[in-house]
Amino acid sequence: MTTKDIGPKGTVQKSAEGALDFVDERSGVKTGARWFLFRNIPAGTSWFQTLGFTAMVVFGMQAITGIILAMYYVPDTSGGAYASIQRITEEVTWGWMVRGMHKWGASVMIIVVFLHMARVFIWGSYKYPRELTWVTGAVLLMFTLFMGLTGYLLVWDQKAYWATVVAVNIFASAPIVGPYIGDILRAGPEFGPSTLSRFYSIHMLVIPAGIAAFIGLHLYFIMRLGISEPPWAKRRLRIERDEEDARRRAAREQAAALPGTVTYPAGAPTGAGGDDR
Amino acid sequence: MKPADKRAYDRDYAQAKKTGKPFFPYAIFKDTVIATLTVLGIIILAIVVRVEVGEPVNPATTDFVPRPEWYFYFAFELLKIFKNQDVFTPLIMATFMVPNILIILLVVWPFIDRGPERRIWKRPFALGLTVIVTGMLCYLTWMGANSPAGVAKGGLPVSGLDEEATKGMGVYLANGCGSCHMVAGVGAPGPGPDLTNEGTKGWDNAKMIAWFKAPKPPMPSYASLPPAELEALATFITGLGTTYK
Repeated sequence: MTTKDIGPKGTVQKSAEGALDFVDERSGVKTGARWFLFRNIPAGTSWFQTLGFTAMVVFGMQAITGIILAMYYVPDTSGGAYASIQRITEEVTWGWMVRGMHKWGASVMIIVVFLHMARVFIWGSYKYPRELTWVTGAVLLMFTLFMGLTGYLLVWDQKAYWATVVAVNIFASAPIVGPYIGDILRAGPEFGPSTLSRFYSIHMLVIPAGIAAFIGLHLYFIMRLGISEPPWAKRRLRIERDEEDARRRAAREQAAALPGTVTYPAGAPTGAGGDDR
Repeated sequence: MKPADKRAYDRDYAQAKKTGKPFFPYAIFKDTVIATLTVLGIIILAIVVRVEVGEPVNPATTDFVPRPEWYFYFAFELLKIFKNQDVFTPLIMATFMVPNILIILLVVWPFIDRGPERRIWKRPFALGLTVIVTGMLCYLTWMGANSPAGVAKGGLPVSGLDEEATKGMGVYLANGCGSCHMVAGVGAPGPGPDLTNEGTKGWDNAKMIAWFKAPKPPMPSYASLPPAELEALATFITGLGTTYK
């Protein structure tokens, strides 16, 4: 018996709880949410471990601003694309702001994703058991860069056009499969109206779907395996200190047992491992 | 990693979780703070540095500097380093080999570095790689940001031009060839090769025009130019360093 339930429950509270119970009985959402929110993470979890979530939030912002831009954008090479960009920037209410956020969001997302990768690399967080989390993350980095490449053409100005012509030429110069990749990207042998539609479709349908799927996989691995502990978390440092002490003690005892000989402890401390490979 | 190391890690992590803190509110709080600051930063950037609308696309005139967004500057600079057609710095290094080696290395890295050690100062190879790769990316991006535009609009210091070659130089300047090529020290140092002594290769006009129409990537095709302009441009280029110096 808990003491907090004093007095009869109101009708609203009762029906709300009833509805939630109904959903929970069938979906397990209450249990799931409780597990998700209150599962333990290592105590040393650091500020550096917020970059993955931040990248995801920036992706969400890119999706929202992108959807708004798609409402006004016209993928038409005979002047329509350029005119619609001009309209978004100069006429549409807050249009310059949405386009500005989308453009800067792309740069920031690449920086955040890179920093996130650097953090994981420096901390060795990709090691057992998180190898596949890293692989899905590497795919996400590639998707992010490809997003930047395909989005650049859509503004359809001189700089964007010629930079993309050069970029597609680079893809097309790869041995064996190159010419096919070039034709797929250009929607034919030449840059033209179909190219813009294709880039538009790749930019707003193909890659976002891929990113969403891989974020799902990435999150699944993170939830299953847990957030990695910083290598210099207080708990780890204490364990390492204890191991060092134990090793010194063992060395001293060995030296005392065999007077006249100096011995050094062999091998690595347990748990932490001594080899780089 | 040996099975014993794996079990040791599993035990250690289980211990870390047992003595840990709940995800909500501890991790959620930090995540929310950094994500909010980042989105605020983006909004401020969008307000302070307004987006612009550039020149409309005109595939016929190529008077432009083909520069990618800053996050591809490193790839652009690689093109300049490996612009030559010789054995030591072939173009394929920049367009295919280096990017693909990096991508493959990135994906398979956890299967290369499998030891249990996580402290960076005890992983000298990984530390070296971090410093070298990050340094190279920053250096190449910085180089890309500061590369001279060098479109060579004012003319080229080449003498001995006849009428056809003068016309060809006009085509060269009007189409922004100087934003990728250099002639007698004028123009951009890449991604295209230096054309100062291009004539010494001994190409005839027909071969040169075929090249303009279907060049080796990343150079874009100039098949859209009128035949007379292509002819004049070919005359100019094939005489560089021999007739016109």
